[in-house]
Order: sequence, then C-alpha cells, then structure tokens
Amino acid sequence: MNDAGWILGAYVIVLGGIALYAIRIVTRGRSLAKQLPDEDKTWT
Amino acid sequence: MFRDAALIAGKDLRIEARSRVATNQIAPFALLVLILFAFALDPDRGILTRATAGLFWVTVLFCTLLAVQRAFSIESADGNRDALRLTALDPAGIFLGKAAAIALELLGLEVLLLLGVVVLYDASLDSAGLLILTALAATAGLASAGTLYGVLAAGLRVRETLLPLLLLPVVAPVLIGSTRAFEAALSGSPSDGWPWVGLLSVFALVYLALGLVAFGPLLEES
Amino acid sequence: MMDQQAETTISAASVTTTGTKATRALGIVCLAGTALLVFLGLIGTPEDEVQRDTVRILYIHAPAAWVAYLAFGVTALASVFYLWKRTRSLTWDRIAGASAEIGVLFTAITLATGMIWGHLSWGVYWTWDARLTTTALLFVLFLGYLALRRMPADPHVRAKRAAILGIIAFIDVPIVHQSVEWWRTLHQDATVLRRDLQVQIEGTMLFTLFLGFVVFTLIYAWLLLHRTRIAVMEDALDEHGLELALEERRAEGVPDGAPEGLATT
Repeated sequence: MNDAGWILGAYVIVLGGIALYAIRIVTRGRSLAKQLPDEDKTWT
Repeated sequence: MFRDAALIAGKDLRIEARSRVATNQIAPFALLVLILFAFALDPDRGILTRATAGLFWVTVLFCTLLAVQRAFSIESADGNRDALRLTALDPAGIFLGKAAAIALELLGLEVLLLLGVVVLYDASLDSAGLLILTALAATAGLASAGTLYGVLAAGLRVRETLLPLLLLPVVAPVLIGSTRAFEAALSGSPSDGWPWVGLLSVFALVYLALGLVAFGPLLEES
Repeated sequence: MMDQQAETTISAASVTTTGTKATRALGIVCLAGTALLVFLGLIGTPEDEVQRDTVRILYIHAPAAWVAYLAFGVTALASVFYLWKRTRSLTWDRIAGASAEIGVLFTAITLATGMIWGHLSWGVYWTWDARLTTTALLFVLFLGYLALRRMPADPHVRAKRAAILGIIAFIDVPIVHQSVEWWRTLHQDATVLRRDLQVQIEGTMLFTLFLGFVVFTLIYAWLLLHRTRIAVMEDALDEHGLELALEERRAEGVPDGAPEGLATT
C-alpha cells in the first residue's frame, strides 16, 4: 500500500479517538453511577 | 418598541458622552492595532496597502468586542439589569437600543480608522458609495450579533474570555464580506463589491431578527 | 428535596453503569461493523485509479464529517424542543450538550483526516476551500458552545442559554459556508476548483463507503446514549450530591442497629 504509514495513521487516529472517548464516558458513567441512588438513573 | 429603543440608545450614548470610554480608550486602541500591524508586516513592500481592507476590518472586529463588553459592563453595575427588567420596557426595544448605540460607536470608530489607513497605509478611498454602504451593512450585522452574544455572555464572570470565542466565529461572514467589498472599492473595481454588500445585509437582517426574538428571554436570566 | 430517609444506600445501588441490554447489543453491532469497515477499507477494496490508496481515508473521513453535522443538527433540534414550551424538558438540554460534545470530537477527526488526505493528495495540509474552512469554524463555534455549558448556573438557565446559542450557531453554519464558497471561488482557477473527489466509486468501494456511514451513525447513537445518561447523572449529582455525601458521612458514623435519633436532614 502506498503511504501506508499515513493511511494507517489516519485509521488509528479515528478509531483510537473514538475508542478513547468511549472508554472515558463508560468509565465516567460507572464512577457517577456508584455515587448516585438508582432512582436518579432514568434509563432503568 | 422604537420609543424604548430610542430611550435605551440615548441612555447608552449619554453614558458614553460622559465617560468617554470609546473616545479615550477604544479609539486609541484601534489606532494602536493599525500601528502594530505595520510593525508585524513590512511597511515598505506594499503589503499594508494591499492588505488594508483586511487589516481595517480585523481592527473593527476587535473594537466590536470592546464596545460590546463595555455596553454590558455598564449594565452589571449596581443591579442595573434588574432595574432594566423592572422598567417594563419592551425587550426587543432594549435590544434595538443597545445595538444602535454600539453601531453608532462603531461607525465613529470606522471613520477614524478610514483616516488612519489613508495616512498610515497610503490607501486611496475610491468608490466612497461602496465603502459607506459596506460599512453600514457590516456594522449593523456586527452590532446586532454583538448585542445578542453580549447578553448571552453577560453576567458570567468569564465574560471577557468567553465573548470573543463565541462572537468572532459567528461574525466571520461579516469579515469575509466587508473585506471583499472594501478590496473591490479600494482597487477601483466596485462592481465586484456589491454582491458582498448583499451578503452583509442578509447577515444583518438575520441577526437583527434573531436578536429581537431572543434578547428578551436571555435578559430574564442573570 | 429528599425529605425522607434515602432507602437505597450507596452500596445497595444495583445499576452501576450507563449500559443497558440495548446499548450492549448496539455496541456489539458497532464493533462488528467497524471491524468489517476496517477490513474492507484497508484490504478488501482496490485502490482508486487516480487517488490510489489515498481513497481509503475517504471511508472514514466522509462518515466522520457526516456524523459531525448530524450531531450538531441534533443539538440544534434538541435545543428547539427545549425552548418550545410544550416539549420543554431538561432531557432535551442534556441530549443537546451530549450531542455537541460528540460533534466536536468528530469534527476534530474530520479535520485531522482531511489534513492527512490533503497532504497525500495535494501536498498541502490545508486549503482554504469552503468545506474545510467551514468545518474549522464549526469546530471553534461548538467549542464555544461547550464552554458556555460549563458555566455554573441553574440547570434551566444554562439550558436556555445553551439552547439559544446552539440554534444560532447552527443557523450560522450555512451562512459561513456560503460566504467562504463565494469568497474562494472568486480566486480559484479552474484546475484548483476541481480538487473535489475525482474518484470513481463503484462496487465494493461504494459499499464500503455506505457501510462507513451506517457504522459511524450507529457509533454516534451508542455514544449519545451513554453521554446523555452521564449528563442526567451529573445534573442529579449537582442537585443533591451534597445531601448524598452527608448521608454517607452520617452512615459511616452510626453503629449497626442504632436508633433513628440521628436526624438526616
């Protein structure tokens, strides 16, 4: 593949960025859920 | 609504006449920016003359920020905002009045800046009609958007840093349009500039409308 | 607020994440779709005649741009629903904020991939064409929106401010785009103007591109669900976080079986 480095880099940036954000919000979700009683969690 | 607007505009302009913030601080600042641009760019290679339109309007944008900040900082003193709400003035009129006052201050600054670029950047002011109409349309847009965002950011302690971040991207079309129109005027081909005046007018109308509608609800919060 | 003793203590909370069966299923679909997309994008599709392998970036760049605009559209729409009295609810405000944050992420991704594309295709990281410039401005606009949301305020005050800003910012986007378009087309010569996609998209390439749009949209939905639920919890924490902490403190100090002489409010 020509310019393999750049193209793979682009994929890493995109998927890595999304993954990092996803991990961050899931972790934050867990830590917040620990601090709150269930009635605050309107999706259950 | 127009009577309330005149009241508010008169009040703001009277405050300005007494405190002279625009004349003593914003005007010198505007000239200072013109001078700084000359330091930053090479004055001998004609860059300044070619870039006059852009530098002029960027300076106006900076002045808009200061004028809007000033217009709303006078309201935050001594519980003015509550007093304003108690007066039962039409909020749309308040918006119009504040925007009008800001617009008049900006127009004054623009006249000063035009003199400045003639002197400092060796610009020649052809096509005065195009210049004037561009300035009117652009200023109307800047004042409307500025007043709307001013009230949005008003009452927040970080207003000084938040307002530029909110306002400047929004008025980017004004910068684009006014600069192109001025370039057309200054380079002697004004026919290229008139479409941009159209864009500026549309922008001004849109933000005038948005401001008239949204100013009231925003004023209610503090 | 909570004028009765809280029945659930913190340790008894049974819901510990923002995930549900639905989001888990969605998440699995997203992962599978992403794997397929990556495979097709990098290996399973041929290179383009003109662009050669650079076209592979298109499979993630275009979907990212789509999601960015979708996210900001959702923000604007949710803002409208919040402001409209008949549908006013803080849920809309939280959706707006969550969507804007995701939008900013995808705008950054769009800009980054766009710059890589530009570097590979034309040797420049940036051109001031309408799309790229508008995307950059969109990025800054909504960073400002997020900054405004962080200002401490009563939830409804914050919601109203943010809603108005969100709508205005969204209205501004087409104005900015048109202005830049007119501005730049005046100065570009014909060859530069056709810098657009000179790609023959067909067959597996078209399918991969379409797959990209679908997968990214699903990812957006997954992120939005989780992020909105976080917003719900953050607001709840703001509202009675202090009370909960106080109760926790008191619960620590009470030996088992102690009478309820200790008032909780």
